[in-house]
Amino acid sequence: MPIHDLGYREWHERLASPWTRWVVIAKAGVRRAWQSTWLRRMMFFAWLPAIWFATGFLMWEQSRLSPDIREGFSVFVPDRPGVLDGLSERLSIEDESVARHSVWSWLLYTFLRYPQGGIMVLMVGIIAPPLISQDVRSRAFLLYFSRPLTRWQYALGKLATVWFYLVMISAAPALVLYTMGVLLSPSIHVVVDTWDLPLRILGASAVLMIPTASLALCMSSLTQESRYAGFAWFTIWIMGFFTYIVMTGIEINRLGMETDFAFEKWAPVSLYHMLGQVQGWIFDFASFDQVKYAAGILVVITVVSTVILFRRISAPLRA
Amino acid sequence: MSLIELEEISKNYGSFRALDRVSLTIEPGITGLLGPNGAGKSTLIKVLLGLLRATSGRGRLLEFQLGRHNLQIRERVGYMPEDDCYLAGLSGVESVQLAAQLSRFPGLEALRRAHEILDFCGMGQERYRTVETYSTGMRQKLRFAQALVHDPPLLILDEPTSGLDPAEREAMLNRIKILARQHGKAVLLCTHILPDVQAVSDAVIILAKSRVRIAERLERLSQPTSPSLKIHVLGDAAAFTQRLERAGFKARVDALGAITVDGQHAELAARIWQVAQQANIGVRSIEPSRNSLEEIFLSAVREQPDAHS
Repeated sequence: MPIHDLGYREWHERLASPWTRWVVIAKAGVRRAWQSTWLRRMMFFAWLPAIWFATGFLMWEQSRLSPDIREGFSVFVPDRPGVLDGLSERLSIEDESVARHSVWSWLLYTFLRYPQGGIMVLMVGIIAPPLISQDVRSRAFLLYFSRPLTRWQYALGKLATVWFYLVMISAAPALVLYTMGVLLSPSIHVVVDTWDLPLRILGASAVLMIPTASLALCMSSLTQESRYAGFAWFTIWIMGFFTYIVMTGIEINRLGMETDFAFEKWAPVSLYHMLGQVQGWIFDFASFDQVKYAAGILVVITVVSTVILFRRISAPLRA
Repeated sequence: MSLIELEEISKNYGSFRALDRVSLTIEPGITGLLGPNGAGKSTLIKVLLGLLRATSGRGRLLEFQLGRHNLQIRERVGYMPEDDCYLAGLSGVESVQLAAQLSRFPGLEALRRAHEILDFCGMGQERYRTVETYSTGMRQKLRFAQALVHDPPLLILDEPTSGLDPAEREAMLNRIKILARQHGKAVLLCTHILPDVQAVSDAVIILAKSRVRIAERLERLSQPTSPSLKIHVLGDAAAFTQRLERAGFKARVDALGAITVDGQHAELAARIWQVAQQANIGVRSIEPSRNSLEEIFLSAVREQPDAHS
């Protein structure tokens, strides 16, 4: 019993904006996901690669002052074929502002594509599968949709839950790296030379977030058992990744196919490599022609996943 | 002004007609919505909430058109579903807070309101446990709290007392009565438990085979078609009935031993007392007979499908 029982009281206070309902769903999802110990650990480890890349920024800026350090910096810029062709040449450009732009772009691109891309797969695999499947299992749809909540607001709230965590492991650390680079540079004028990089970071993060969140939630909506959705999620990534590695390996080493051609040919089987290709285009390491198929497939995946997701959300109400 | 007005609402699922030209007017107060399984009650509720679009017909809830102003309707309706549905992973108070926030309560106010409503619903410290650990009764109270938290003028309660023990059931019915009588809430009470409806309702709607069979004030429904008295006696009711018939009364006895005597004037009771005295039969009660809701329900459900309400 409450100490001071007020009985039932009517409500005459002010109400919040109707446009914030999806935020309520998203906040509840973020809070719920954060209860997972695995997620908290992963968030910690997701920021560790930023330390390595921060060292890269530091060494680059120091190398401009003392050329002895330049040798050491080469560890951050491996001479890779494919979309990264020409980076080494760009590094040797005497114009410091152009060189800085190229190096920072490369560091940020590498950061987002490799460590954060991998962590993204694991993190979404933890967060997304229960987000909708649990609502299907616990029949929570009736509780949600008997409120003044549209299906789009519900879907947006769930997507925003995944986006939040992806921003925390992609755009947020990348922007911190960029800010650190600015602070380490000799003059604030580097902002003028690199003003586009924050936008490219946001673009590359959006490439990471939008198709993956839509696909993961689509899978979550297809089952009542979140483990099935998680299994399907990891299967798609792992199978795609290894198919890509094996097939490009065969074609390059055995059939003697050109590296670029093999990479482009087999990228559509691997979501991971498609995301990387499009991020490469955003950071200006590839032309749109090189990534147009990957970009098209990602758009199709996003649209189809969203349509299925929306239909699955509507289904329990029609029953 | 009527709370809900429906005109010729039909709803088809493929070739199956779940609602067949339902026309209704629901006034403020507590209205019981009754019907056997598959009668169309849940479909009717979903149509009212705008979760399903009616195949034909039109209607109005409060001042809003059905199917056109669904969000406005849902802002003003508190719905307690029958299904065992819950928001997984949240505690009781968080679930109610979330429901309040979805109805546009600011975060902190929503929390305060959630506690207030959970107090009203008789939820103690268990509100801090996750909902998955709740018993059926606790989940019922939680769903009731979620329906009520945004202070809606209309409550649609689907089986609010199922799964509750007798004390909790009585407490739940009391809450419903308090909301309707003291706070002016309109309540649409959908249940299979007829005594609950009889205990709290002002009006009754009976749906059967997708159609409205009865929509009337409970007071009027309870009145028999011709005035009569209902008598309970100590002893042989059949023998006493024969005695009454020999004395010139039109009397009959039912399977439970209650005797019905046609007529209802004051002298009639005095004459029955005399006959009982002569027959040496003890009379436990004499009261004006009323139709029981069970009788009304069964007769409505057994009517032919094309019989008019």
